[in-house]
Amino acid sequence: MKDQLKFKAVFLAIISVFLLATSFQNVNAQSVKKNKLRIKALYIHVMDGEAYLDLKTTAKVDKKNIKVSDIELYVFNEFEEGKLELGKVTTNAKGETKFVIKDLNLLVADSSFVYNLLVSFKGNEHFKKAKKRISFKKAIIEAKLISEDSVNYISAKLLEPITMEAVVNTSLTIQVQRLYDPLILGDEFNETDENGEILVPIENGIPGIDGILNLEVVLNDSDDYGTVKAIVKAPIGKVIVDESTFDQRTMWSPRNKTPIFLLIIPNLLIIGIWGLIIYLIINLFKIFNSKNETL
Amino acid sequence: MKKYEALLKDLAPQKFNKSGVIWVSVLVIIIIIGIIAYIDQIIKGQVVTNMRDYALWGIYISNFVFFVATSFVGAIVVAVLRLTKNEWRTPLVRIAEIITLACIIMAGVTIMIDMARPDRLLNLFIYARMQSPITWDVIIVPTTIVISFLLLYYPLLPDLAILKNHYKKEQPKLSKWYGKLSLKWEGNKKQKSIQEKSIRIIALLIIPVGFMLQTIDAWLFSTTYRIGWDSNNMGAYFISGAFVAGVAALIVVVYIVRRTKKLEKYITDFHFDKLGKLLALACLIYLYFNMNEYLLPAYTPSKGEEIHLTTLFTGSYSYLFWLVTIVGLILPIFILIFKKGRKPLPMFFIGLVVVVGSWWKRYLIVTPTLLHPFLPIQGVPETWHHYFPSMHEWLITIATLAMALLIITLLMRYLPVIPIQRTADEQALLSTNKNEAS
Repeated sequence: MKDQLKFKAVFLAIISVFLLATSFQNVNAQSVKKNKLRIKALYIHVMDGEAYLDLKTTAKVDKKNIKVSDIELYVFNEFEEGKLELGKVTTNAKGETKFVIKDLNLLVADSSFVYNLLVSFKGNEHFKKAKKRISFKKAIIEAKLISEDSVNYISAKLLEPITMEAVVNTSLTIQVQRLYDPLILGDEFNETDENGEILVPIENGIPGIDGILNLEVVLNDSDDYGTVKAIVKAPIGKVIVDESTFDQRTMWSPRNKTPIFLLIIPNLLIIGIWGLIIYLIINLFKIFNSKNETL
Repeated sequence: MKKYEALLKDLAPQKFNKSGVIWVSVLVIIIIIGIIAYIDQIIKGQVVTNMRDYALWGIYISNFVFFVATSFVGAIVVAVLRLTKNEWRTPLVRIAEIITLACIIMAGVTIMIDMARPDRLLNLFIYARMQSPITWDVIIVPTTIVISFLLLYYPLLPDLAILKNHYKKEQPKLSKWYGKLSLKWEGNKKQKSIQEKSIRIIALLIIPVGFMLQTIDAWLFSTTYRIGWDSNNMGAYFISGAFVAGVAALIVVVYIVRRTKKLEKYITDFHFDKLGKLLALACLIYLYFNMNEYLLPAYTPSKGEEIHLTTLFTGSYSYLFWLVTIVGLILPIFILIFKKGRKPLPMFFIGLVVVVGSWWKRYLIVTPTLLHPFLPIQGVPETWHHYFPSMHEWLITIATLAMALLIITLLMRYLPVIPIQRTADEQALLSTNKNEAS
């Protein structure tokens, strides 16, 4: 009986050690300082194309701004009655991600036709939870190409979709798509007139693949509307001639596309020299076999 | 007849004396140490070298270029002097042929040492691109090895037959080997005719092949656009440099052979005088190409060239650069102008200085350019901006030099360093002419 008591005491002691250790771990875990995560969200709508949120996550760690990868971000549509989860995305190695709004018409707006989206991060062992709200109204850009007196213009009109009223005194940018950054045409800011319109001439000679220029009319990062873009494919560019040497025989091509002259000349030299070497080796055999022979 | 026997006694290969045995032993020890270092390099990878992102070619490539350059002596002394009918070449040609073969073999070995994965050697042939100068090099080096071997072997045939008979009683085993290698040479008309024709072909062949070898070696550098290498002058610059290195190496070896084998009767002051003039000519030509290589870019330099030339003229490599240029090139010209400077002993020291200078010259061609890339390489330790060979690199490189010397030593141990038959023929002709004159 006495032994049993002793065993119980030992058992309790061991259990206590484990429990204490666990609680200490909790204390330690709580003491780890979590960093604050910053979420940057930008609403972009391409007319007749997709609407999406451009999301970036950064944090200040050890007094340095870093891009934070592998962050799960939940996107909600907030409205007066509550909120609706639209989906989830994870940031890439650059701390960036894109959340595509599947159907803009399914979003619920508030009474003043403003859409409110919430981007939320639940927090993890390194970062505290964070959220970012973004509000925008729908806008329409109607853009078309006009030719007058051999001059090409891009004409664009900015409208509110519900009332179809023109949005006046708002800056639009005209640019042509390029591989890296777009090339801005005309003035950087073109204010819409009382009809919500702008007219910008397009200079000749801008190169494009097959002569097609992808012209963009952009309402850039507006407080009310976010970023709205209309793209016009205009066959007015200078045709880019493909100068690729991929299929040609060049000094930098793979060995199956070696220039012909580089196959002929060195191989002739190799054959000539090695032909003589073989002849000289044969002559050694001739010497070997010409014992007791005279000419 | 007595005269012929004396000649045979003088020129037939002799056993190593005590210093010869010590010399070979030292070389073998150095080679073994180098092989151990090389095995370690294969196991651990080229991290044991100091070659990094900046200096991706190092002492191995410098050494390779040196061997290639020195092998040019065969084309110059043997072929050119033969075709220009310079009869004084006779006691020197065999030594030149031996140096050529040893150096070109070691050039091939050295380039393999520079490969991190020598087991992939065959890929150089299987996946060869004719556009790549590396491919041209892979083709020309083995080709030169074969031609250099034939250049040595063909004129040896009569001598091997003589040695077969000479050692028949004293050393029958050795005699048997000489017999086999002599290809049953008995000097009949047909054999002589084939031999003479073949030697003529080799003499003609070795000159373009030698030029190709040196030029390809130069193009390995000049086709890279790198500052210090991207030069139209490079092919001629390398050929003239090879001329210098080859003749200087020949002078050094000839002096040692003459002394150790007591051949003063055959290799006279006259030969050194001729070799001295040849070296002076080589140095002058090389100096001219050096001026083209350095002074013209210095006159109208681009920013990159300015940095490169400053490094050489007044920067971190300036001591080596001026030492190599003045002591290794200009000073020998001044000494060799004077007849006293062309005596055997001064010539030996001049040759030695020029050979050492030639080796370091290749180091100067390879390394400083690599330390100034077009675009700075980011995120690398500061130490990678500089290069000095590691212990592994030194041990392996010294071992390759020892291997070349061992090949030369062993060939000179078993082959007559001066052609016996040809010397006998010349002496007979000389005495016949004397008799006729009297």
